[in-house]
Amino acid sequence: MDTTVIQLLLPLGVLQLILIIIALIDLRKIDETNGPKWMWVLIIIFFNFIGPVLYFILGRRM
Amino acid sequence: MTLMSVEQLTKTYQSTNVVDELTFSLEPGKCVALLGPNGAGKTTTLRMLAGFIKPTKGEIVFNEERFSRDVRHYVGYLPQYPVFHNWMSGEEFLTYVGQLAYLTKHEAKAKAAELLDLVNLSDAKKQRISKYSGGMKQRLGIAQALIHDPKLIILDEPVSSLDPIGRREVLNLIRELKKDATILFSTHILNDAEEVSEEILLMHKGKMIKQGAISDVSETQGTTSIHLSFGDEPKFIEERLKEIDSVFNVNREEDGFIVTVHDINIARSQLLDLIQQEEWELTRFEIGKTSLEDIFMKAVTE
Amino acid sequence: MQWQTIFKKELTEHWRSFKWIWVPIVFIIFAIMDPLTMYYFPIIMDTVGNVPEGATMDFPTPSVAEAMIMSFSQLGLLGVLIAVVVSMGLVSKEVKSGVYELVLSKPVSFTNYITAKYVAILMLIAFSLAASLLVSWYYVNILFGTISFIQIVVSILFFIVYFMMILGIVMLFNSFLKSQGLVAFLSIITVVALNVVSSIYSHVITWSPTLISDYINVYFYSGQLETEIWFSSVAAVAITVISLIIATITLKNKAID
Repeated sequence: MDTTVIQLLLPLGVLQLILIIIALIDLRKIDETNGPKWMWVLIIIFFNFIGPVLYFILGRRM
Repeated sequence: MTLMSVEQLTKTYQSTNVVDELTFSLEPGKCVALLGPNGAGKTTTLRMLAGFIKPTKGEIVFNEERFSRDVRHYVGYLPQYPVFHNWMSGEEFLTYVGQLAYLTKHEAKAKAAELLDLVNLSDAKKQRISKYSGGMKQRLGIAQALIHDPKLIILDEPVSSLDPIGRREVLNLIRELKKDATILFSTHILNDAEEVSEEILLMHKGKMIKQGAISDVSETQGTTSIHLSFGDEPKFIEERLKEIDSVFNVNREEDGFIVTVHDINIARSQLLDLIQQEEWELTRFEIGKTSLEDIFMKAVTE
Repeated sequence: MQWQTIFKKELTEHWRSFKWIWVPIVFIIFAIMDPLTMYYFPIIMDTVGNVPEGATMDFPTPSVAEAMIMSFSQLGLLGVLIAVVVSMGLVSKEVKSGVYELVLSKPVSFTNYITAKYVAILMLIAFSLAASLLVSWYYVNILFGTISFIQIVVSILFFIVYFMMILGIVMLFNSFLKSQGLVAFLSIITVVALNVVSSIYSHVITWSPTLISDYINVYFYSGQLETEIWFSSVAAVAITVISLIIATITLKNKAID
């Protein structure tokens, strides 16, 4: 039972990790954000799943 | 042959004529300055000529209708505040707009490389535009206007937002460009117009108040100023100068007098006769043209 | 050729802003979240909850159809929201920033400009929908029981038609508003209004595009495709086409001030 739980939930964790990583890469590359960058770093890392999405929607300024 | 002729061009916003019945024509191979104070309607005029706002009234005929397609095929336009896709590199952006103007990808790339060289951006061509300085963006803006070899290049205030170095670079570039194309650029700075253009169109409050070759425009004013200086200032000189019939004004300056005259040829001999006859100690005799500033101020306040 | 130029530029822009990665991932998370939590709910309650002694815990396990429908309805809410947000600036942002002026000083056809942008964003959203619903289908098959591949593919295709209409509406608002926020707000209001009106009069306007998801639900329960779903889809396509035409005309007639 436990192994199937892990097998099923693992992909979800991996996807969330990818989200965090690309959000951080984008944040590093981008010139300007709405609000300070360090704030977005915290939001991206600590607000699981919602953080990176918020960053992509509200944080980027291009 | 006329490249573009404009007749009674009018644009009305909320019942005010921002551009009011302009009529003029552009000859090929000339650099023409559209002069006027801020709010004279210069930008609106240029946008109509560039083909993306429709005139309320009037006509724009391009090259006697030999080009019947969309005017944007033949016009390169640089807006006053050019904004790019900042995530692209300079090279990518030029290639992109080149393809928008129906060059093949290959042609667009070749032309982009050539123009990047011309505007001196080859070193920065792989850089993202967001990293460019104001002067670099302005030069990229000029390059994008040239990408499809336009017959007419329209530049809206190309130098007014630049620092002296950037301004110099862009003016030199304009001088370079007028060898191959007709240029129409707007400015509110008279020096820029005098420096690179042969013709001026003077606008004020939407109306055309003066147009023609710079030399003609100065001459039609009918006055010329002569700067006189003397080693030892003669007595009653101001009164004596004013007695001459071709002189209509004398202004005392720190180092002599500015004499405004009607006809320079008559005035020259009359003045020199007087000076010789009185044996005044002349140290300076300089004929100056009426500056555009004078024309401008005169026309605007009339 | 010009169309492809704009289309490729759009794809590149979406790619470089990571939209092709984060939008599908977020859709996948939306789609699998509910079926997963429903399945593990008893376990979660067991380990976390301090269930009072003697209380009987009875969680009805959802049926296959119910589980699959959860994914669709989650995307019908949050997926729509994301789709609106990623497309709210397609034109309005370019007009507001001023790039539009440079682009339009070249002989660009307005039809190309609108449709190339539209198709590029539609591809992104359609891909995200397909990917997320297929992943969810995979999970549902493991956890709850079997749904045929044909059934899921047909449902995804109809769902994409519904999103086509939403993106068309967003393009329409894009063409005459400069504020991205306002574009998003009005698009969502419009979609919500369409939903409310159609569900009130669902027996009268059976062809309403917003009923597509209802018909998909029925399809999962009964295995039968309602005829009305075809009318709804035609209506969705019609609204899309009309929106895009109006958007093109609006841009063409609009003087940049």
